[in-house]
Amino acid sequence: MRRKVSVIALNTILLLLGVVTVYPFVWMLSSSFKQNSEIMALEQHLLPQTFVLDNYVNMNAHFNFMRFFANSLLITLVVTVIVVYTSTLCGFVLSKYEFKGRKLLFGFVLSTMMIPWCVTIIPKYSMIQSFGWMDSYKALIIPAMFSGFGIFMMKQHISALPDEILEAARMDGANEFYIFHRIVLPMSKNGISSIAIFQFLWTWEDFLWPYLVINSEEKQLLAVGLKMFNGQYSTDYGALFAATAISIIPVLLIYLFFQKQFIAGIASSAVKG
Amino acid sequence: MFRKTHPLQSRSEIILRNIVVTAMVIFFTVFLIVPIGIAFAGSFHEWNPLSGTYNFLGLENYKEVFTSALFGKSMLNTLIFSVVVIFFRVALGLGIAYAIYSALVKHKSFFRALYYMPVVTPMVAVAFVWKFMYNPQIGMINQIFGLDVNWLMNPKTALLAVMIMTIWKDFGYAVVMFMAGLYSLPADALEAAKVDGANAWQTFRYITLPLLKPMTLFVVITSIISYIQAYVQILIMTEGGPGTATYLSSYIIYDEAFVKYNFGYASALSFVLFVITAVFTWLSFRVSGTEE
Amino acid sequence: MKKKLLAAMMATVVAATSLVGCGSGAAKKEAEEKKVEVPTEPFGDTVKYDPSVEINDGKDITVELWEWGSDDLFQEVIDGYTAIHPNVTIKLVNNPWEDYWTKLPLALDGQKGPAIFNIHNSYHENLINYLAPLDIPVEDLQADFTGVDAHVIDGKVYYIDYGMMTGSVYYNKQMWEAAGLTEEDIPKTWDEMREVAKKLTIKDGDKLIQAGLNFNDDFHQNYLLGLNYQLGENLFQEDGKTPNVNSDAMKKVMQMLVDLYEVDGVGSKDFGEKAADSFGQGQSAMVLQWGHYYNTLKTTWSNIDFGVFEIPTFDGEPYAYNRYNGESTFGVNKNAPEDQQAVAQDFVKYFLANDDAQVAFNLAMSTFPAKKSLADNEKILENPSLKVLSEHIDHYIWPGPMPSTVETSLKKAGEDIFFNGVAIDTALDEAQNNIIKDMKSSSFESVENLYTYAK
Repeated sequence: MRRKVSVIALNTILLLLGVVTVYPFVWMLSSSFKQNSEIMALEQHLLPQTFVLDNYVNMNAHFNFMRFFANSLLITLVVTVIVVYTSTLCGFVLSKYEFKGRKLLFGFVLSTMMIPWCVTIIPKYSMIQSFGWMDSYKALIIPAMFSGFGIFMMKQHISALPDEILEAARMDGANEFYIFHRIVLPMSKNGISSIAIFQFLWTWEDFLWPYLVINSEEKQLLAVGLKMFNGQYSTDYGALFAATAISIIPVLLIYLFFQKQFIAGIASSAVKG
Repeated sequence: MFRKTHPLQSRSEIILRNIVVTAMVIFFTVFLIVPIGIAFAGSFHEWNPLSGTYNFLGLENYKEVFTSALFGKSMLNTLIFSVVVIFFRVALGLGIAYAIYSALVKHKSFFRALYYMPVVTPMVAVAFVWKFMYNPQIGMINQIFGLDVNWLMNPKTALLAVMIMTIWKDFGYAVVMFMAGLYSLPADALEAAKVDGANAWQTFRYITLPLLKPMTLFVVITSIISYIQAYVQILIMTEGGPGTATYLSSYIIYDEAFVKYNFGYASALSFVLFVITAVFTWLSFRVSGTEE
Repeated sequence: MKKKLLAAMMATVVAATSLVGCGSGAAKKEAEEKKVEVPTEPFGDTVKYDPSVEINDGKDITVELWEWGSDDLFQEVIDGYTAIHPNVTIKLVNNPWEDYWTKLPLALDGQKGPAIFNIHNSYHENLINYLAPLDIPVEDLQADFTGVDAHVIDGKVYYIDYGMMTGSVYYNKQMWEAAGLTEEDIPKTWDEMREVAKKLTIKDGDKLIQAGLNFNDDFHQNYLLGLNYQLGENLFQEDGKTPNVNSDAMKKVMQMLVDLYEVDGVGSKDFGEKAADSFGQGQSAMVLQWGHYYNTLKTTWSNIDFGVFEIPTFDGEPYAYNRYNGESTFGVNKNAPEDQQAVAQDFVKYFLANDDAQVAFNLAMSTFPAKKSLADNEKILENPSLKVLSEHIDHYIWPGPMPSTVETSLKKAGEDIFFNGVAIDTALDEAQNNIIKDMKSSSFESVENLYTYAK
């Protein structure tokens, strides 16, 4: 009985919190089917009084939505895969190898995360310019290949892997490349899923950098397109909400997709195995 | 190149280590140290990249940072903002994660996905939505609670309103992190507690919580870093107003760098902020008693 | 559960993408069907454009034109131009307004910047170092356009205004009638304005139902930076560099705003957080807004029946009615290759000589044409927000491209007064000091002394 009460109470609380979480979201989605005058009208209704698809249809008047969407997906996937790989590799080396300067290197990686982005962006921009990488995806991918956050996170995760497993493999004559790819990578699913989720989100959302370095419209990314609705004198709310609604779908999908891996990763984690 | 400390160190280990360390050093030198160095040098100059001004000022910029009343006020706001938001982010995140993790809740992945939705929504859109919700005439917050508060324009509520929005947007991140932490808890420790007859609260307080310490520390540190750099919500919701009531330090940096193009001053502000962030990060490590 | 969610989401993506696909096809078709008339004879007033002169020796060339937000408007001018010169391709690049000003100067600093770009004079200082002077004689520009003098730098002109934007009062006709007011009641002075505003205010006890006048969120642009001229006081002191925002005139204007809300009670700082939206929502009866508001009302708030009247004055004989700001012509990138610059120069000339383009741009922005020959253009006078300006358009002052700190500092001062309980004198003194500090390294110099009726 007591258990039943707490089940109901707990689920109710979680559900209530869920409503609070989702409500603004529902409002945004519903507003994406409203005209701007209705979004701002004195009389507010959750559901559109006049249901319009204009905000979705007009998206193309501002930018080539599908093209931007595909570009964003490509860049985000490439960057995420690279970052996952480099982070795991660096995390492995930094946590399992002993060498001079290891702590210094790690401390440095950690401290890089604390420099506000505004200061480094201008020097970085001039560097990209002098490398001749402007308007090319090199400018988006190469400066993003290593992530301080990812390395930090993977180091924490991999240091929890028992050394015995690695030693056993070494005894069997496995070289380090084999150990990394066949043992460490599969055993780090948990951590990998989390960085994948975060990295995907950050790259997908990142606006200023792609906007600065990419000029051609056919190469531009979705996050840049989202800003087109901020006009000089007004914001086109309906269109902004519509574009946002569509742009978060891939990120949610990636999350839902990796969530499975997440649990699977834990089931086969080193602790039990 | 590196000292040999490991008796079983193999050739492949040395090769892998050298490749990785070299790649990291090159990458971080090119894309972080050099730009940071340029910015650091710039912080001693009157530097405007548009007009091409670059005149040596010595410590002038730093002097201005420390004498600026606005920066002082923004630091206080940043402190309040970060402490409150981090506290609720961690508390809500931990509480909800633990609730979902417990055997009492069935639809675990449903809830996880639900709370994660605000995290994946771009801040720009979220800030606009909440600006509508806070509107004194048409906003749903006043309507639901039957209030008549001008949330974003009242100096007593403006920062609070931005904090509530930020907590709403970000607590899902902590939920997911703590879920990950909870799932990787060693089952035998929890089993042992059960065998010893510990009740739910005792298990949580004396077993789960200490085991979650690394994750908590992780959430706190990444939060410190990201909140000290937060400015988008201010830009869209209050523009620092009313007056200067909701100025956050990063908003000043953004304003100085990308609105006024005072790059020298903005860089000086950034380095001061960097030192402060580093100190707080170090403090969190200290408080938690973790080495490294 | 999860699979269903996934399936639902995929369905949404597919639905959305197919929708978007349809939209684009239709839009393109429409554009193709439009035909452009190709002129063969020279046209224009003093600045003339001769379509028979070949550009780039008839060889193919592509240049970029960067702008923010008004694709159709620009595309029409481009189509007109490329119809004359089929060898020229002008690639239009649309940017988000705010971020344009971060990216453009950086791009101009490198080799790959656009040859032509749209200018807003509030970013003058960020752009001036990258601009090539127009190769049209200054006298010719002066003959055709007003306000050219203010743009002359060392005998050269880099861009001018095609239109002038300023403020007028917009009123809700329905509320006007409901309050028993007629055309006769349109106020000429601020005292009359205050009386009318009181009549238009509706209260339920202490609670405002309808504001007679609303100036929330934009009072600094629309009142503080403008009404000072009515009282004969400039925004900058005689040296043209020191701000003058704590003058007696500014204090008087600020005091009037405070009195409107706190003594007359015709509105409230907490009622309708943005004046412009509140008028559109049918909550406020009058707002003082700049020309662009006309377009906002036409597009977003199309169900509001509104009228426009000229800004009231303190005594009927103001030194000037208000501040105006120019909408600028395009800039030519001095770092662009020479052949591209030649096209850019030619394109600007085409734009200046072309009356249709001038009218189209002015109507789109709701600005009063700077081109003198268009002052009594029928289409222009059909726009009520421009018509009310026509009588005294020479009695408006442009202070020059003020750094944004003037606006933002005054906004802060106003917010401090209304929301944080700071005294008017203190707040304006602080604004004055802030502006001085921010303008320390600015090259700005006021051109208020170039006003036709300057004292």
